[in-house]
Amino acid sequence: MITFLQNVLDALSLGSLYALTALGIGLIFGVLKLINFAHGDFITFGAYALIIPSSADVAQVLVGGWSWELLIPTVCIAVIAIALASDYLVFRPLRGASPPTLMAASFALSYVIQNAIMVIYGARPKSVNLWPVLGDQTHVGPLTIPNLNLVTIAVTLALMVGMTIVLRRTSVGIQMRAAAEDFRMARYLGVRADLVIGLAFVISGALAAVAALLLVAQTGSLTQTMGQPIALFAFIATVVGGMGSLAGAVVGGFVIGAIVIMFQAYLPPDLRAFRDAFAFAFVILVLVAKPSGLLRAKGLVERV
Amino acid sequence: MLKVEGLEVRYGRLTALRGVSLHVERGETVCLIGPNGAGKSTLFACIAGGVSATHGSVTLDGKRIAGRRPEQIARSGLSLVPEGRNIFKTLTVEENLRLGAFMAKDRESIQARLDEVMAHFPRLAERFRSSAGSLSGGEQQMLAIGRALMTGPRIMLVDEPSLGLAPKIVDQVYEILMSLRDEKALTLLINEQSSKRALRHANRIYVLRSGEMRLEGRAEDLQDGEAVMRAYFGFDERREVGEAAQ
Ligand SMILES: Nc1ncnc2c1ncn2[C@@H]1O[C@H](COP(=O)(O)OP(=O)(O)OP(=O)(O)O)[C@@H](O)[C@H]1O
Ligand SMILES: [Mg+2]
Repeated sequence: MITFLQNVLDALSLGSLYALTALGIGLIFGVLKLINFAHGDFITFGAYALIIPSSADVAQVLVGGWSWELLIPTVCIAVIAIALASDYLVFRPLRGASPPTLMAASFALSYVIQNAIMVIYGARPKSVNLWPVLGDQTHVGPLTIPNLNLVTIAVTLALMVGMTIVLRRTSVGIQMRAAAEDFRMARYLGVRADLVIGLAFVISGALAAVAALLLVAQTGSLTQTMGQPIALFAFIATVVGGMGSLAGAVVGGFVIGAIVIMFQAYLPPDLRAFRDAFAFAFVILVLVAKPSGLLRAKGLVERV
Repeated sequence: MLKVEGLEVRYGRLTALRGVSLHVERGETVCLIGPNGAGKSTLFACIAGGVSATHGSVTLDGKRIAGRRPEQIARSGLSLVPEGRNIFKTLTVEENLRLGAFMAKDRESIQARLDEVMAHFPRLAERFRSSAGSLSGGEQQMLAIGRALMTGPRIMLVDEPSLGLAPKIVDQVYEILMSLRDEKALTLLINEQSSKRALRHANRIYVLRSGEMRLEGRAEDLQDGEAVMRAYFGFDERREVGEAAQ
């Protein structure tokens, strides 16, 4: 029972990371019908923003050494900047292009960001010790919980609640939901395309920044491809949850997190190395049973 | 107030509109009729900025709007109720309505518009907090019109308001449209499948077929319906346009 509860906490923590990332991907998909594979590289970029650019083997922290009140906004601004720049330089010229074209462009962007990081920072992994206090554990009765897990879950929950309030209660939020459902109709009603798209990249960038910080705190290392596996799982989460549904992206993120952790914990030891393969097989089963995802998106039609 | 001249629209190799001209004067109700695939929805979408033209001009009160973005056109006082309504199903009725009014600045004017729409559509007031996806077809049509009204338009383009609705509901929709015309002096351009209905409600009629304007005339001059039928089905291609317009 105790181990099971420990596993549940691990699942929630991993699911949180996937959910944050899936939400960032889902938001951009909702508004632009763009599956942004560079989202993982936004995360990588946010992680590298902590250190001084140099190809030396030992990383010198700059932003990473600041107090969290300064560090978090700075990393958010850095990632938001690259997200907006990506939109301006890559996706804006392709407005109206087909989804496959957009997706190919995002692959190219992903590759460019990764290589730029490699050129500037060198190809070797670097270690960064961010927020060592999160490495401690808290004891709750018989449970031993890593502080990082608690923080990850709490931060994700807070962001979800915040996002929900923004999307439900504010004028821009309602405009974003409308645009995600039927972009053209929203524009016929005077909703500004630039505002909605810009805001989607801002929120998506901020979510990537938070994911980056949580990831660095967890792994303590930087590599040029560190954001990719999360982005891949998060992308699958958006599909499982129902492409185009924001709530679906979050649910999908937690489902994938739970699947991965539970396979890790309960598969026979010999098979644990194939955990991801089992997880993907499970995803395929879900999609066979519910091809449009767990939470079906309602507004995916576009025509005159 | 609205003037379309020599409009051409293409989808790839298909030319959906060829040299189409049309005008709507302030306070008028104009009906556009034509068979399926004639290009009526394309014309409406193009006027509202959702589809771009390869040739021609569209002006609203003398100002060029062709080539402008849909949101800019909406802000200059033209509102489109598209074919199939395009209700935001994941939003509530209230959110759908408010969405139309975000360009209005102050709360009071938004509330005033909301009250006015409620007065015209009591059914929407009853379903105010429901999900818009749960509305019936007729209610969705009312919501689409109400939502367009929230933008505070001077001219409203309504694409096939009768699509998929029972005749009794269609009558209700027209009753509301006509009361809006009378009370708010709203200028209307309506795409209507039934020429009978068009002749009953419109001041003037246009007939579009295969991407070309075949007939224009005052409703009172076309009441026997024969010229309209000929233009609609294309039995006689000779100069009806000039004849009926005199
Ligand atoms: N998005 C699109 N891409 C390609 N072709 C299109 C598109 N929309 C419409 N068409 C084509 O353009 C022509 C005109 O279509 P449109 O929808 O404007 O006709 P309509 O008069 O509104 O017809 P209906 O009475 O059936 O609504 C048709 O041949 C249609 O197949
Ligand atoms: Mg049509």
